[in-house]
Amino acid sequence: MTLIAENLNKSFGDTLVFKDIFFTVDKGEILVIKGKSGQGKTTLLRCLNYLEVLDKGSISINGKYLCKDADGKVQYAEKEDLKAYRLDIGLVFQNYNLFPHMTAKENLLLAPKFLDNMTEEEMEKRAKELLAQLDISDKENSYPYQLSGGQQQRVAIARACMLNPSVLCFDEPTSALDEETRGQISKIIKGLANQGMAIIVVTHDSSLVEELEGNVLTMGK
Amino acid sequence: MKVFNMLLPMTMEGLKVTLGVFLITLVLSVPLSIIVAKLRMSKNKLVAKIVGIYIYIMRGTPLLLQLMFIFFGFHYIPVIGYAFSRHQAIAVAFILNYTAYFSEIFRGGINSIDVGQTEASTVLGLSKRYSFMKVILPQVIKNVMPSIGNEVITLVKDTSLVYILGVADILKAAKAVSNTYSTFVPYIFIGLVYLLIVAVLTKVLDNVEAKFNYYR
Ligand SMILES: Nc1ncnc2c1ncn2[C@@H]1O[C@H](COP(=O)(O)OP(=O)(O)O)[C@@H](O)[C@H]1O
Ligand SMILES: [Mg+2]
Repeated sequence: MTLIAENLNKSFGDTLVFKDIFFTVDKGEILVIKGKSGQGKTTLLRCLNYLEVLDKGSISINGKYLCKDADGKVQYAEKEDLKAYRLDIGLVFQNYNLFPHMTAKENLLLAPKFLDNMTEEEMEKRAKELLAQLDISDKENSYPYQLSGGQQQRVAIARACMLNPSVLCFDEPTSALDEETRGQISKIIKGLANQGMAIIVVTHDSSLVEELEGNVLTMGK
Repeated sequence: MKVFNMLLPMTMEGLKVTLGVFLITLVLSVPLSIIVAKLRMSKNKLVAKIVGIYIYIMRGTPLLLQLMFIFFGFHYIPVIGYAFSRHQAIAVAFILNYTAYFSEIFRGGINSIDVGQTEASTVLGLSKRYSFMKVILPQVIKNVMPSIGNEVITLVKDTSLVYILGVADILKAAKAVSNTYSTFVPYIFIGLVYLLIVAVLTKVLDNVEAKFNYYR
């Protein structure tokens, strides 16, 4: 199993968001987590990406733990292990959060430049490949404000894929798209799964759930 | 004409002071203020509180009083007390004062950036420092440029406060010549010099703002 999430519990103060959630995702699989608005889908993705801390539970990717339970209390990994975990998971935010002052290509190159784990040529090559795969090669020098919602989303996907994470998460990928672009996003997501990524998609969009043909987990009642 | 024979050389000397105070304050206060803004927003409550008090004092008392205190009063303070020269006192007072004002502008600017920008950086594995320098700060600078520009122009005029320590800037030059020849002309002339400096600065500030207009 690529990603194993066990016994996940999260509240904000007195408000319980989710309780005892369990799921696994393997290489090439798509897990669709569906649920109505306010059921904690975004919070769950934020916990997987360590933007939010769990109350209880354990999460691991390829055997490397983000956190595990010790005596009923959650214990997070050491700094270096957290860094390694981060590179193994990516997130495409609901509103993409592109860097508005950088071109599409600069958005893609920022993380590899910081991590300095590939040569300039390698990162250029990978950026070009991803932009081509997502059919936005002609937009590499465009700023986010010059792109349509669907194109911005592709830049966000490409940016998340630059470091080739094992797991990629999508938060409501169809929420800001029109009919036509909606059909394309499920193709893109399936394509990434076929290349061997483990994909987690959270959505309240039942037609997307059908199109993705993945395993389905329902949150809430 | 005799008026100008006296006024022009004195103005040139005064300009060294006016522009000197202006430049050293600007060059040192802006970077310092970014650090102070970060400290003001520090998770460490004590640090945030101390920096808050510093900003409160700097913004809550006249710069004139601060100049006087640093030159005449600071060496009476035990342990840290130090007798600054006139020029040192001027530099210290202006830098402390303007750093406080600039830092509040930067704090507002940093807070105005969507947390999603930091979260996207975090998820991509960037360090906090790298994310601040490459993602947050460039966007902050674009947003704060108009407010910084206002302060920069105020700073030009504030340099005239150095008279309180007996240092001769361009306004002091006007006063000396005016007293000698019993005429108001030097004041009008120096008023035009200020306007000229501000005109040049406005142009420079507009250009800097335009540089950041490549995105929305
Ligand atoms: N930072 C937060 N502080 C307090 N409550 C929060 C916070 N984030 C989310 N919540 C609450 O958690 C619940 C789940 O929110 P969310 O994960 O955004 O749901 P979904 O994405 O399924 O619509 C909501 O009731 C929301 O109000
Ligand atoms: Mg949500």
